Amino acid sequence: MSLALHYIANLLLILCLVTSMIQSRFLFNIQNYNLFSISQISAIQFLSILVSFFILIFLFITSDFNFDLVYFHSHSEKPLIYKLSGVWGNHEGSMLLWILILVLFNFLFSLSKSRSQKFKEITVAVQSLMIFGFVLFLLLLSNPFNINNENFNDGLGLNPILQDPLLAIHPPILYIGYVGFSLIFSLSITGLLTSEVDKKWATIAKPWVFAAWSFLTAGIALGSYWAYYELGWGGYWFWDPVENASLMPWLSATALIHCVVVLQRRNTMQSWTMVLAILTFSLSLAGTFLVRSGVLNSVHTFASDPGRGLFILIFLFIILSSSFLLFALKSEKINKPSLHNISSRNTGIMVNNWLLISILIVVFLGTMYPLATDLLYNQSLTVGPQYYAISITPIIILFLFFMILSPQLSWRESKLLKILNEMRYILISCLTITFLTTLYFDLFNFTEILIIFLSLILIISSLSLGLNFKSTKVIVKSNFGQSIAHAGFGIFMLAVVSNAVYSQEKIYDAKVGSKLQLDEYIFDFKNIEQEEKDNFNSIRAYLSLSKNGKDLGEFSPEIRFYSDPPTITSETSIIHQFFSDVYVVMNVPQNQESISLRLHIKPFMNILWLGVIMIILGGIITAILNRKKYEENAIN
Amino acid sequence: MTDTVKKRLIKFLVSLIIFGIAILIIVYNLRDNIVYFYSPSEIIENNQTGSQIIRLGGLVESESVVSDGDSIFHFNITDGQEQISVKYQGILPNLFAEEKGVVVEGIYMNDGRFIANKVLAKHDENYMPPEVIKSLKETGKWQE
Repeated sequence: MSLALHYIANLLLILCLVTSMIQSRFLFNIQNYNLFSISQISAIQFLSILVSFFILIFLFITSDFNFDLVYFHSHSEKPLIYKLSGVWGNHEGSMLLWILILVLFNFLFSLSKSRSQKFKEITVAVQSLMIFGFVLFLLLLSNPFNINNENFNDGLGLNPILQDPLLAIHPPILYIGYVGFSLIFSLSITGLLTSEVDKKWATIAKPWVFAAWSFLTAGIALGSYWAYYELGWGGYWFWDPVENASLMPWLSATALIHCVVVLQRRNTMQSWTMVLAILTFSLSLAGTFLVRSGVLNSVHTFASDPGRGLFILIFLFIILSSSFLLFALKSEKINKPSLHNISSRNTGIMVNNWLLISILIVVFLGTMYPLATDLLYNQSLTVGPQYYAISITPIIILFLFFMILSPQLSWRESKLLKILNEMRYILISCLTITFLTTLYFDLFNFTEILIIFLSLILIISSLSLGLNFKSTKVIVKSNFGQSIAHAGFGIFMLAVVSNAVYSQEKIYDAKVGSKLQLDEYIFDFKNIEQEEKDNFNSIRAYLSLSKNGKDLGEFSPEIRFYSDPPTITSETSIIHQFFSDVYVVMNVPQNQESISLRLHIKPFMNILWLGVIMIILGGIITAILNRKKYEENAIN
Repeated sequence: MTDTVKKRLIKFLVSLIIFGIAILIIVYNLRDNIVYFYSPSEIIENNQTGSQIIRLGGLVESESVVSDGDSIFHFNITDGQEQISVKYQGILPNLFAEEKGVVVEGIYMNDGRFIANKVLAKHDENYMPPEVIKSLKETGKWQE
C-alpha cells in the first residue's frame, strides 16, 4: 500500500512537470500542439497536485510511518486537526502546499476571461514555467513522498507550540497571499513581453492583486495574533526577522495595489507598477523560503535546512535578473507620458508609495544588517526594536498626512485651500477630541498626540468619503472598500499608539490564596490543579479578576508538559474587555511554595484587531466589487 | 526648459529629498540600536563593562541555577572556558534548563556580574542559537 502510494504520488508530480512544460510552449512560439485547450491542461496540472496533496493528507491521517515525512513530523496520538496541520508544518509539505496554490491560481486564471487569447497563453506559460521549476525542486531536493525501510512504531511528533488551531490555518492563508503575487508577476512579464501595460492590463490584474493582498494581510494578522496569545510575551509584533520577512512583501504589495488603481484610472505609472509587481513577488519568495532555509536567525524558525536556501537564492536570482532585464528592454515602450498636475491624487499616491518603500528599506536594513556583519566581520549582533520604532514613526506621520489628503484630491487638479475649507468641520472636531483625550489621559508626548490626531481625521474623513449620508438613508459608494480599509488603518494606528503608551506589566511570586494587584485590577489567586489530557499533562492555576469590587471573570493560565517531543509550553489566559485585555501567564513552578505569574494590561487590543479586520475587509470588497467592471472591460 | 522636463525635475528632486532624509534617519538610528553578542570569554577578554546593553550567550552551567524568591534567579553562563554569573529578575522561559543553550540581554557590571533584563527563549527544544553554536565551536566545546 505504502509503496503503491509512493509511486502514484511521484507519477502525479511528474505528470504535473510534463503538463507544465507543454503549457510553457507559448513562450517559445511552439504552436503545433492543439490536442487540449489551455484550461484543460491547467486543470490537469491542478488536479495532479491536488490529488498528491490529498495523498499526503491521507498518509498523515492514517499515520503511515513508512514515509519519512510522517515519521519525522507526526505522531499517532496527535488530535486529528494537528495531524492535518502537520502536513504543512514542515518543509516538504509546505512546499507542496505552495505548489498547490500556484497551480490553483494558474487554473483559475486560465478559466477567467482575458483581453486576448495570446495574453492568456503567455501568462499561463510564464506561470507554468515557475510551476515547472518548483515541482522539479520538490521532486529532486525535497520530495515529501520519500519512504524508509524501517518499521517505525510511532512518529517523532510535531512541535507542541505549533499545535494550535490558529497556526493550522495560518500557513495556507499566508501562502495564498504570497503565491497570489506569482500571478501578478506572470501578468507583468506578459505585459512587458507584449508591451501591453495599460488600463486594460490594470483591470485584469486588479481583482487578483487585491485578493492576494487581502490574504497576505490576513496571514500576517493571524501570525501576529498567534504570537500575542501563544508566546506569552504580551506583545503582538516583535520586529523579528521572520515577521519582517512577511512585512516586506506586504509593504511593497500595498504600494502596488495603489499603483494598479492609478494605472486603471489614469493610464500612467506603468514602469513603477511593473517594478513593484516584480519586487513584491521576489520578496514573497524570499519571505517564504529564507524563513525555511534557516538563514534568518529567528524565534520562529521551525523547519530549517540551509542547503535548500541555495536553490531558492539561485531561483530568486534568475527571476530577478531576467525580469529586470526584460523591464530594462521594454520600459520605454510601455511608458505613456503622464499628464497630471502636481496637486492631483497621482502625486499623493506617488508620495505614499515612496514612504512605503522607505519603511521597506528601514525593515530591510534592520533585517539584513546583522546578516551582513556576521558574514563580513564575524560579529554577531541584533537590531533592537527601538530602531524600528524611531525610524518608522516620522515616516508614518507623513504617511498618515498624505493618506488623509490624497483621496480628497481629484485625479486632475485640486485647490488645496478648497479642500481645507471642505474639511473644516472634521478638522475642528478631531482637534477637540484629541485635546480632550490629551487632558483626560495626561498625555504630553507630541509625537503620540500628533499620530492620534491624524488617525482620528483619517478615520472620519475616510468613512465620510465611502458613505453618502442622505437625510433618510446611507448610500454605500463604489469606493467603499478603500474607505473601510483606510479607516481601519486609522483605527489600527490609534490602537497601536495607545497600546504602546498604556500597557502595564508586573511579575508576582504568588502563593495560593493571595491577592495580587495591577493598576485597579485585583487578581484573586484561588488554586492550582494538575490534569492529565490526551497528549499532555498540565498544571493549571485559577485566578479571578475584579475591578472596583466588580467581578470580571476567571483566569486559568496553564503549563503543558508534552511527551512527544518532550516540550513545555505556557498557555496564556486572556480576559477580553472592550477597552483592554487583561493577560496572565504562569511560569514552570521552580519550587513548592510559590509560583511566578506575569500580569499584563494591554489596552485597545480589541480595537487594534478591529482595525486589522477592516483593512482586510476593504481589500476583499475592492476585489469583489471590481469583478463586474472587469468582465465588461476584458471583453471589449 | 519644457514643461514636462520641469515637472520631471521637480518630481525627481522631491523624491530625492524624501529618500535622502529617510536614509539618513535610518542609518543614524541603526547605529544607536545595535545590540552586540558576546561569549563569556569575549566579555572577560575585552572587559565589556559599562552602560551599553549587550547579549551574552552560552550554556547554562549545571547546578548553577539558584532562586532566591521574588522571581530572582542566579545562574552561570559558560562557553567551556570562562563563566559569568548572571542575575535575572523575571519569568524564565519554559525551555530554560541547565546545560542548554541560552542568550541573555543586559549589562555587564564592574564587579563581574551580568544583570540581565531579558532571557531569550526559542520555540524548539532542540534549537540552539546560532551565535552560541559558533562560540562553542570556537572554544571546541561543540558536540554534534
